[in-house]
Amino acid sequence: MTNAIEIRGLCKSYGDFALQNINLTLPGGSIMGLIGENGAGKTTTIKCILNLIHRDAGQITLLGQDNITGERLAKADIGVVLDECYFHDTLRPRDIDRILSRVFPSWDSALFDTYLDKFQLPERKFIKEFSRGMKMKLSLAAALAHQPKLLILDEATAGLDPVVRDEILDEFLAFIRDEDHAILISSHITSDLEKAADYITYLHQGRVVLSEAKDVILDSYGRLACTAKQLEAVDPADLVKVRKGAFGCEGLVRDRSAFQRKYRDLLVEKTTLEDIMLFMGKGEEAV
Amino acid sequence: MIGLVLKDMLVMRKTIRTYAMFLAFYLVMTLLKLFTISFTTAILQLIVMLLPMSAFSFDEMAKWDRYALTFPLGRRALVTGRYLFALIMTVCAGLCGLVSCVLVSIFDNQDMILENMMTVMVCLSLGLLYADILLPLCYKLGPERARPYFYLVIFAPIVLLFGAYQLGVFGAGSLSFLSSVPDPMVVKLSFFLPIIPLLGMWASYLISCRIMEQKEF
Repeated sequence: MTNAIEIRGLCKSYGDFALQNINLTLPGGSIMGLIGENGAGKTTTIKCILNLIHRDAGQITLLGQDNITGERLAKADIGVVLDECYFHDTLRPRDIDRILSRVFPSWDSALFDTYLDKFQLPERKFIKEFSRGMKMKLSLAAALAHQPKLLILDEATAGLDPVVRDEILDEFLAFIRDEDHAILISSHITSDLEKAADYITYLHQGRVVLSEAKDVILDSYGRLACTAKQLEAVDPADLVKVRKGAFGCEGLVRDRSAFQRKYRDLLVEKTTLEDIMLFMGKGEEAV
Repeated sequence: MIGLVLKDMLVMRKTIRTYAMFLAFYLVMTLLKLFTISFTTAILQLIVMLLPMSAFSFDEMAKWDRYALTFPLGRRALVTGRYLFALIMTVCAGLCGLVSCVLVSIFDNQDMILENMMTVMVCLSLGLLYADILLPLCYKLGPERARPYFYLVIFAPIVLLFGAYQLGVFGAGSLSFLSSVPDPMVVKLSFFLPIIPLLGMWASYLISCRIMEQKEF
């Protein structure tokens, strides 16, 4: 099966910030969550994938096509939802159908109508009258109506209430039922990714610090809660990052089972993606 | 690309409708002899020249270009769509001007149809020329920063000509030819005048494409 996205050695510098040697593979039939703090490089990576910005080095392949030389071919099979709705306020969903049916050769007006019904979006109402949730659902309907094989979503669920987010996540899961389909989703809402994603790539200060199957991450990583004295007794090589507070210390452990076997008197719990992000973003190196 | 032109028209349907009402008003005023046909055709082109600039502003507000670049069209298609829109609007204004000339001739029984048509062709040429200059500026600077240049391009030649005339640069009576009946040969030649800015549009288009290729979104 062709990989939906392959990124090799991607570099992009803005002077004060740089994406450094990004490598990433999204296999077909799966969802990859791209996580990282603000300014970590998630949007820059997505912009490079979509050729919205010029990369300094590296290679990007989308659905088997180079993202520059085969840009048009690749983009015909890609649906994109960015962090906000980019449709003009003076347009209506009906107009979006008229416009995009002339843009995408595979546009399916009936399918677009189905999504409008499903998301309860009035086709004759102006977009300026839509709520943020409605706008994002409209963007998703537009992204899905040309029957893409790859969905790229940049903070598409940010600022939405849990009900709308759940609706959208259900749609992603329905989309991914087809093994040729894949989704790359960048999000701060790690709980959503824990529900839906198969792979997680964590970007920190322009570098990939973690890219692994979600189940592997959640099964292997652990959170150590202990006192400062107990922490001193732990070999720093067994800890990825530590956080020291007034009431105790915490450490991020890469291999929970191995750690537990080595330190039988210490308690290591399962961790969440949010914990991992907090450790990576705010934690200190273990010394 | 057709979708992009359609998008511009749909986004600005209200503006276009309002402008159409203005134009109908000017046409009625012309038929009532309150305005001259030259004035009406000039206003027509001036109003239409604002449309592509408004299209840039609407797109900038919606951040449309970033989204449109995710379409399987390429950067060049975005530029082509905008030039096509500007061309369609300018030519429509020219056609409206020509129709107005015919109507004025019928209702007013004037024998100046050819001269009036010459005015339309000159206005059409100027409209195309302004598009040639302003579209690359909009791509380079964005609509807000390009707006002062828009006024500069329109009003600077008028101010310069008027100033030069006031200072006597042209000499007494040297501009009297403007109010005289033009040579029939000049009238005929004026019908080919729009070809020049149309050729210029190709160069302008290539410049805009180059600017667009280098842009980051």
